[in-house]
Amino acid sequence: MSLARSADHGAAPAPSASAGTAVVGGTDRASPAVHAIELRKCYRDIVALDGLSMTVRRGEVFGFLGPNGAGKTTLVKLLLGLVRPTGGEVMVLGAPAGDRETRRRIGYLPELFRYQSWLTAREVLVLHCRLMRLDRPRWRDEVDNALRTVGLADRGNDRVGTFSKGMQQRLGLGVALLGEPALVVLDEPTSALDPVGRHDVRAVIRGLRDRGTTVFLNTHLLAEAENVCDRVTVIDRGRSVASGTMAELVGAEDSVRMRVTGLAGRWWQPLERFGRWIQEPDWLLVDGIPAGQVPDLVAAVVGLGGRVEAVVPQQPSLEDRFLELLGDQ
Amino acid sequence: MNLAIVRRSSASLTLTVARLTITEALRRRLVLAFVGITVAVVGLSAWGFYRLSHGAGPTITSGEVRLALPTAYILFMFMFSFVVALSASAIASPAISGEIESGVLHAVAARPVRRAEILLGKWLGLAALLAAYTAVVCGLEYAVVDWSSGYLAPDPVPAAAFLFGEGATLLTLVLLLSTRLPTLAAGVIGVAVFGIAWLGGVVGTLGGAFHVTALDSAAKVVAYVVPTNGLWQAAVYQLEPSSYLIRQLAAQNERGNPFLITSAPSAGYLAWAGVWFVLVLGAGVVSFGRREL
Repeated sequence: MSLARSADHGAAPAPSASAGTAVVGGTDRASPAVHAIELRKCYRDIVALDGLSMTVRRGEVFGFLGPNGAGKTTLVKLLLGLVRPTGGEVMVLGAPAGDRETRRRIGYLPELFRYQSWLTAREVLVLHCRLMRLDRPRWRDEVDNALRTVGLADRGNDRVGTFSKGMQQRLGLGVALLGEPALVVLDEPTSALDPVGRHDVRAVIRGLRDRGTTVFLNTHLLAEAENVCDRVTVIDRGRSVASGTMAELVGAEDSVRMRVTGLAGRWWQPLERFGRWIQEPDWLLVDGIPAGQVPDLVAAVVGLGGRVEAVVPQQPSLEDRFLELLGDQ
Repeated sequence: MNLAIVRRSSASLTLTVARLTITEALRRRLVLAFVGITVAVVGLSAWGFYRLSHGAGPTITSGEVRLALPTAYILFMFMFSFVVALSASAIASPAISGEIESGVLHAVAARPVRRAEILLGKWLGLAALLAAYTAVVCGLEYAVVDWSSGYLAPDPVPAAAFLFGEGATLLTLVLLLSTRLPTLAAGVIGVAVFGIAWLGGVVGTLGGAFHVTALDSAAKVVAYVVPTNGLWQAAVYQLEPSSYLIRQLAAQNERGNPFLITSAPSAGYLAWAGVWFVLVLGAGVVSFGRREL
């Protein structure tokens, strides 16, 4: 199993003046979407981020995973300039985090999504068009598109105060999509949504990836990350504990479960070369089987007179790997 | 980017936040509530002034009525000054801290907006509401008292301006507090500071009347540290006709009356009030700029 432990330095080019890369007004397309180096953030005695290093490439859906209190939201706030780092450095879209002009190209759905309850959904979106200084002729299309994308087209003229939590979160997603941002930061974007809403959000995220937008998905819902992310970083206690693609993180299958009848005597002896055999009620589990050996295993079992009724490769889940990683800490 | 364009853009964002602040007050029916209460109080004062000027008993001379009218008038205006100050504190205290606590500010502050633009926009919107309220209250009260009793203060417009100045001073202070303290704490401290400043004025009046230098000095210090009461006294001075002043001064038993102001505020003091305002607003901008959300 290959797993990139800790930070993936060098996975993408570092932003940088020292490398001679041209950075003009924070619009350098060659720089990573996010690049953090030894990032540290303390709130008095509490260390929220402890030397975090990571890179998010342009155009990918990046999952930022960790248990509650791991420092995920702190990093999001650092990316947007809502808080300042205690140490280290973080660059966003080629400019220092918090850079005002760069924030024009970032869409953000906060974890605590609250919008002006006395405004209508359409007015909230227009307000953000103003704050982003989008050209006025674009506002109508931007607002209509956002409302349609998040499924609120028929509620645009209703006050936000009348919305359910889920609808407010949808509105927040719409706000984050305004102005075709280069980077969309979603902090727990499905926390208030029902299964249909979660499905819709996944579709929106895939749509963003298709048009080349980088998505920074901050979540502790592992299924969500497993479904849409190209790469993930797992953090715990403010430090990166693993990083890579989903396949790198989870690994290939290395065990198989079989339902077999008709085997007799010391049948397992010739089969031990395939791995460790564990008898379960109705099933046999073969653990540690080498990659690509499952057909050979099935043939060997049949050769010994066994009748193979089912073969289920065992794929470790992200949750298993996540718990394993946190356990290691 | 051209400097002029940057300034125009900054002013535009400040006005956007100001407009948002005013919209909030209108849609949350805050303005409606204040207008309702004000109309009721002004109506009561009309009835009271009418009875005072037309229904005085046979033992009350017309001179005494002429003396009572400005006194009652100043007391009514004191009540309105209290309402203006409390309103300033009430609307300013949640302006920043309330939106941080609710999370509304996070989405706004993540946009390409300077913190200074947010704070100045909030101040501008709240100050516009306060100015409108002060103008309506003073205009209504002047008109109603004039109609019911024939009495009109000698300098009503400067008096209203000083009343607004008093409210705006407290508004600015509470907005500064709101960048650092929870809503309730900022509001309570604002009201307490207003009360202390007023009490400082009373202490100063007593110190002056009874020649107690220590009290007089303490009151002066308070008046410079928080100029709300100094501006209230400036408003009172504009409301007093000269005949009223002469009569009151002649009456020895009026010594120590906190509602009698015998001299206009000095230009130096008013200049200091202006400097104080700029310093506190500037401190608010710096404080909010450094606040982590």
